[in-house]
Amino acid sequence: MFIRIFLPRMLTALGVIFGVVCMVFLLLHLVPGDPVEVMLGESAQPADREALRQALGLHQPVHIQLLAYIKGLAHFDLGTSLYSGRPISELMLERLPATIELGLVSLLIALVVAIPLGILAAVKKGTAWDFGAMGFALFGVSIPNFWMGPMLILVGALWLGWFPVSGREGAGSIVLPAITLGTAMAAILSRMIRSTLLEVLTEDFIRTARSKGLTEWVVTFRHGLRNALLPVITLLGLQLGALLSGAVITETVFSWPGIGSLVVESIHRRDYPVVQAAVLLISCSYVMINLFTDLVYTWVDPRVRIQKS
Amino acid sequence: MIFRVGIPLAVILLWAGLAILGPFLPLSPNSIDLSNILVPGSVQEWLGFDDLGRPVVDRLIVGARTSFLVAFTVVAISLVVGSSLGTLSAYLGGWTDLAFVRVIDIFLAFPGILLAIALAGVMGPGIDNVVIALCVVGWVGYARLARAQVLSVKEREHVHAAVAIGAQPIRIMMRHLIPLISAPLIVEASFGIAGVVIGEAGLSFLGLGVQPPAASWGSMIRDGTRYMLVAPHMVIAPGLALMFVVLAINLLGDSLRDWLDVKSQTRKE
Amino acid sequence: MNFPSHIHTNFRFTIWLVTAFGTLGLFLLLTACTEPPTDAFRFGLANAPTNLDPRFATDATSDRVNRLLYERLVDFNDAFEPIPALAVWEQVAPTHFRFYLNPNRASFHDGTPLTAQDVKATYEFILKAENASPHRGSLAMIDHIIVQDEATIDFHLTRPDLLFPSFVVIGILPAHLIQTNHPFHSRPIGSGPFSFVAWPDDTRLELVRLEDQQRFEFIKVQDPTVRALKLLAGEVDMVQNDLPPELVTYLTKDPRLHVQRSPGTNFSYLGFSFEDAHTKQGLVRQAVAHAIDRERIIQYVMGGAARPAQSLLPPDHWAGAHNLRRYEHNPEKARLLLAQAGFSPSAPLKLTYKTSSDPFRVRLATILQYQLSQVGIEVDLRSYDWGTFYGDIKAGRFQMYSLSWVGVKTPDIFHYVFHSESIPPNGANRGRFRSRQADLLIDQADSTQDTQEKKNLYQELQAHLADALPYVPLWYEDHVFIARQDIKGFTIAKDGNFDGLQHVHRISL
Repeated sequence: MFIRIFLPRMLTALGVIFGVVCMVFLLLHLVPGDPVEVMLGESAQPADREALRQALGLHQPVHIQLLAYIKGLAHFDLGTSLYSGRPISELMLERLPATIELGLVSLLIALVVAIPLGILAAVKKGTAWDFGAMGFALFGVSIPNFWMGPMLILVGALWLGWFPVSGREGAGSIVLPAITLGTAMAAILSRMIRSTLLEVLTEDFIRTARSKGLTEWVVTFRHGLRNALLPVITLLGLQLGALLSGAVITETVFSWPGIGSLVVESIHRRDYPVVQAAVLLISCSYVMINLFTDLVYTWVDPRVRIQKS
Repeated sequence: MIFRVGIPLAVILLWAGLAILGPFLPLSPNSIDLSNILVPGSVQEWLGFDDLGRPVVDRLIVGARTSFLVAFTVVAISLVVGSSLGTLSAYLGGWTDLAFVRVIDIFLAFPGILLAIALAGVMGPGIDNVVIALCVVGWVGYARLARAQVLSVKEREHVHAAVAIGAQPIRIMMRHLIPLISAPLIVEASFGIAGVVIGEAGLSFLGLGVQPPAASWGSMIRDGTRYMLVAPHMVIAPGLALMFVVLAINLLGDSLRDWLDVKSQTRKE
Repeated sequence: MNFPSHIHTNFRFTIWLVTAFGTLGLFLLLTACTEPPTDAFRFGLANAPTNLDPRFATDATSDRVNRLLYERLVDFNDAFEPIPALAVWEQVAPTHFRFYLNPNRASFHDGTPLTAQDVKATYEFILKAENASPHRGSLAMIDHIIVQDEATIDFHLTRPDLLFPSFVVIGILPAHLIQTNHPFHSRPIGSGPFSFVAWPDDTRLELVRLEDQQRFEFIKVQDPTVRALKLLAGEVDMVQNDLPPELVTYLTKDPRLHVQRSPGTNFSYLGFSFEDAHTKQGLVRQAVAHAIDRERIIQYVMGGAARPAQSLLPPDHWAGAHNLRRYEHNPEKARLLLAQAGFSPSAPLKLTYKTSSDPFRVRLATILQYQLSQVGIEVDLRSYDWGTFYGDIKAGRFQMYSLSWVGVKTPDIFHYVFHSESIPPNGANRGRFRSRQADLLIDQADSTQDTQEKKNLYQELQAHLADALPYVPLWYEDHVFIARQDIKGFTIAKDGNFDGLQHVHRISL
């Protein structure tokens, strides 16, 4: 199975990553005018400009630049930040834990909210519970996180004073950002869980289970949910992407010192090498996560296993 | 029915109407009156004033104009470009199609609007760069959908018949393929509008979109967060407007999809 | 809800998953840092100090903290006249100043006594070109330094300069540590009333007041709203400046806090390019000056916390001027001037106004844009990140921009800003202003050795600048100090420094 299924997908993912690297590399060349001038803002002497041009390899033909860039990546050399002068890989390692922390807690909140909500809506389909749950989900998808964040700050921090306004200090500081980031995901997940559960519950094997005399709860949870959760795993992988890009805005709103806010800070400082590196890191993580969930799904789905053996 | 179609439609028509009529209404979104700084809403001025003494209601309407203008432009361009490329690729098949799928995969490797943020950030602030950035990110969804639809529809009998007669590929695509795939594309487009409205607001929120003194719901929210402690009305108003418009679009999109589903199902039977 | 027993096995996986996530989450929560309790006085800052070595520090915050850690030979009074700090002085000859160190002076924090050797070592380090000290330029007139004895030191200058004492204001470092290249920038050792305790990261700097061993913490909180909230919550005891006026008004109303205000000297202005066809016309600059309504901005936008300015130096500066020409808010006059310059509603004046991306500056720029539009000037507002903005104005790539001069103490600022030989990179004459009369007055005022004549010349110079309008002056911002009710004893300094912390104490309420 490894060769037949895993390897081709891994190779495809590698190809996609290569494409991502090329596109990220091209970002620098989209800067209007001379990127070096824009980045240094002419606060430096011509000598500094030349030095940066050499350091970024911009004096060489494009394909050589690309090769140099890829070579650097292979050594985990992501370049140097123009703003702080520090190696970018160091910056990434510094900011990564904050983003991972936020992502995991948001995911936790999303699951804790979405799973019961989706089950409730499916099981009580057509009733007020269903409409209420799905209405809540619709709201969750429609509220932009750059507004929900400030609203939560207004209510939770300014009016009630339960949580800090922003920043990452103290145990309570993750609550508001995680709720902000997790809500949209919870909304989408709950809708997905509801629809897949409904689909699964109409399948034959469910009728079999019911006719065997099993109680409704056993039918729903043991037989229904397990099968319904499989496509949800794939969706989780895709939604993680929304989480990663949503983190950019959420981290900015809450001054959360992660990679997302680093992207925005670097854009404002015209520290484009950092922007490139951060976008690359986030996108590659996304590709790897999708690959992983894809492989897990393939491995876990007994239909696939049975077919192949 | 009223909730799912009536009210959302009313909300959207209201804002769209205001957006279109905008230039003709007696608005003063940029008129600074320093004595009105952060004055909250009252009977005369419903939503109060912002940090420069400008009336919030007027700026909301101008912001609506920005949102709808950007949304329709981006969706129109993405839809046309995306579905054309997707249809073409599916029709041609072979290596072209394989290469095209890889290209789509690469674009989809960038989660959400990350690529749009990076593009807008690098190209510089301004509403035109926002449109470009969102188009670059947006066309992929339509391309993928169009391709999938065309692939499933390609083998139908009337298409084979058209090919057998020797019809030109363009004619086949235009007269036989596209009408069949248009329904899901339209549904996708309706959700796409909601996505672009949020995307433009998000980019403006980060400072990458409209520049002062132009108004956008996103930049109004950002300016409002600075005064949350002393004048919350500044951040609540644009956010509510944005949320209700997006909610309305999503609801209508849902209804549209259900309606088209029912239609195609009844047709099948 | 009673689940049959066999349900539990099916739930096991889910429960395991949730528990795993939960513990992971909990672990992550606990590893985030928490605030330790303390009885230190906490001072909230918008920006952290960057360099605690006075030979290199240039930003205002570092400067103010260094004043607490180190002592200097000379200080300034409220009129910015030089007064003795560590030493008194006499001008033995036009190019020879002798300083006598105060016999009751404090020793360095490491116990070693402060002697003239340390003074010499500090200044000689700065004067050496290879050390690349940014303060070297202001001390260029020093030719050589001679130590007479432990408490007496001679400075010999290359040319006579009456104002020389105003320049020996650098904190003194111990010579033996200069020699060993001690890292003063992160582990300062001076002789000031405060000594260094710890600086774990750029959000927290800890000092201790030697007099009573009271600890002080300087906490960096960038976001003004968060800083205000921390003040209200008691996580920070006091803040000075860097708060939007609306927040100040809001905090003033809170019974837990008290607010002190004091006139300041931070000078905000509009700068113009003399190489642009439009802005080099005096009529245009005068029109702009008459079109803007500074009083209204001060009243409504700044909550009254500023004084309208007519010149770079405030009138209470010893070299300040009174009765300078004022450009009152007069839109009619502005329109007339524009018409004279050849502009009309059909051919309006279009100006580009560049500013940094600081929200308050952008806000101000938007207001000015509007006020100028009321007289028919169309303003294109461009806001840039600081690096780009600063580079643009130094290179002269602008028509109009706004900025402030902070920490101006000595009138040599006029040479630095308005002399024709001070065009960047040789100075800060970004507008490329060239006026024979200004150059003449500046040269004369700089070189005269008679105090009264200096004052007269500087006054004449400022009158000329008020006519020529290379800058349209805006205002001097007040200082605002906000503290919790139990914090008393802080006096606001003219230049916004932190010296008041020497006398701060907590009372029991």
